[in-house]
Amino acid sequence: MTSGTRDLSTPRVEMRGIRKRFGALEVLRGVDLTVGRGEVVGLVGDNGAGKSTLMKMLAGAVVPDSGEIRVDGTALTGSGPRAARAAGIEMVYQDLALCNDVDVAGNLFLGREIYRPLSRRLDHKRMHEEAAKDLATLHIRISDTRQLVATMSGGQRQAIAIARAVTFEPKVLVLDEPTAALAAREVEMTLQLIRDVSTRGVSVVLITHRLQDLFEVADRFVVLYEGVNHRQMTPSETDLGGLVTAMMGK
Amino acid sequence: MSTETVTPPTGRADRRGARQDFVHRNFGVLSISAVLAVLFVFFSVQTDAFLTTNNLVNVARQVAPTVVVAVAMTFVITTGNIDLSVGSILGLSAAALAIVAESGSAVVALVLALVLGLGIGLVNGALTAFGKLQSFIVTLAALTAVRGLALLITDGYSTPITSDFLLPIGNGRLAGLYTPTWIAVVVVAAGWYVFNHTRFGRYVVAVGSNAESLRRAGVDVRRIQLAVLTLTGLVAGLAGVITAARLASGSSNSGTLFELEVITAVVLGGTALMGGKGSIIGSAIGAVTLGVISNGLVLLRVDVYWVPITQGLILIVAILLNARLFSGISGQRT
Ligand SMILES: Nc1ncnc2c1ncn2[C@@H]1O[C@H](COP(=O)(O)OP(=O)(O)OP(=O)(O)O)[C@@H](O)[C@H]1O
Ligand SMILES: [Mg+2]
Repeated sequence: MTSGTRDLSTPRVEMRGIRKRFGALEVLRGVDLTVGRGEVVGLVGDNGAGKSTLMKMLAGAVVPDSGEIRVDGTALTGSGPRAARAAGIEMVYQDLALCNDVDVAGNLFLGREIYRPLSRRLDHKRMHEEAAKDLATLHIRISDTRQLVATMSGGQRQAIAIARAVTFEPKVLVLDEPTAALAAREVEMTLQLIRDVSTRGVSVVLITHRLQDLFEVADRFVVLYEGVNHRQMTPSETDLGGLVTAMMGK
Repeated sequence: MSTETVTPPTGRADRRGARQDFVHRNFGVLSISAVLAVLFVFFSVQTDAFLTTNNLVNVARQVAPTVVVAVAMTFVITTGNIDLSVGSILGLSAAALAIVAESGSAVVALVLALVLGLGIGLVNGALTAFGKLQSFIVTLAALTAVRGLALLITDGYSTPITSDFLLPIGNGRLAGLYTPTWIAVVVVAAGWYVFNHTRFGRYVVAVGSNAESLRRAGVDVRRIQLAVLTLTGLVAGLAGVITAARLASGSSNSGTLFELEVITAVVLGGTALMGGKGSIIGSAIGAVTLGVISNGLVLLRVDVYWVPITQGLILIVAILLNARLFSGISGQRT
């Protein structure tokens, strides 16, 4: 909505007929989700509706029982986090998924550490420098990238998780409750970040219970209810009340 | 819904965090070094024999197997796993070395002793990583089975080693120190490098800290677990070779309770049994401390039964200190 024309004809992400059962509980019962290039989709639904589970599947962290996931037309179903990351999908997990005993730079570079090829020695210096640079670019105020994540505040940890997801130029950015622990200024910065990356063509899926935020950045809402796609609408078609009603399955 | 608590980031908190980080990272090594220094001074003052070149060179040789295996065990414990089978592997490797060397080639015996350790470690690792069993249970089973195997192949007897190729591994000297000491020095240096300066070391910490986080980052956690347990097996085999070569005999009984000594050394050095935090240097100093205690008490002519009692007490004190200090810092652990 904020940035001119977008090519939505070739979807960047295509999830079809996704099903997932945990024991007796069938969390997802054939869910579809399409996200275009540069599109910001607000994924909403009640607590336990299966939003996080659906997005973990896109990020490769959870394998669907059935259904199909395509990114830029290439099948990516159940091929794991490494393949998903390689395909350009980055996710800020609701539980953040940081390593408390590893420092800030180590968390930012987890899984793609910089090292010297011959000695296989980690290039600590470069990782700390780049981490500091990346954090500064994102206006995240963390003075020391050598600090252990265990000692940091909830908001700082959330900021690190966001920084990790956006730093490596993803094609698809999934944000699962990225602002839950953030102060007002940081929330505004995160929303601006979403606008910025989507202008550059990055597709974004935003999960948040701060519905007013969704009206600021989302191009489209997808409402999950009891494991199925319940409604789909644009911000211009509805208002806060309408969205809440849809989330309740009406 | 998020369970995160909101704490406003402030500069003061940052600084306090950085200072806590320093203590957090170095407390284990600092405290065990202090303990070792105190013991060192104590035994030097209380006995004539302790602070002599001869005695110290011997202590440095005696502690080598523990130091070597403690380095590998640090990797295992930092991932949040444990390896209880190292003592039994040591016994099997020592016995196999002596038996094969007696009836054939010393080189083959050496290779076989190491491969046995590696193979058992591989089985431990595979069952833990891919079989999704707890390493505690897997290596407990191995502890029993491997010791049985060692007794089976030796019939309970020990076998003398006479090979000129093997004996120097235990008794050779270079620049005043015995070969086992040099092996230990090399293993500690290599372990320190890998632990602190390679991706593998970083992932070992990450597995123990938050394995799911590492998995989501695209790293195969199972391969890390397989690797660390294979490594302890191999290194326990090496410790068997060192021990047998030093004693000039391979016995299936060697290494009884060795696993407990190694784990004690690692915990003394500040490695967290829950994983996520380890120190190679700390483990090495921990192993040396245990060696100094038993040596010093023997020199004091204290009843030999006081050795395990003292070691146990020191372990308890170290763990209490660790728990006190870290409870305030690791509170956010999820
Ligand atoms: N690994 C798991 N094992 C068992 N049940 C699970 C697992 N993961 C999710 N669930 C269940 O699946 C359901 C959907 O969970 P999910 O986290 O996807 O919901 P959500 O829409 O993200 O909710 P919230 O808004 O509270 O974050 C919940 O009932 C949850 O208990
Ligand atoms: Mg969720």
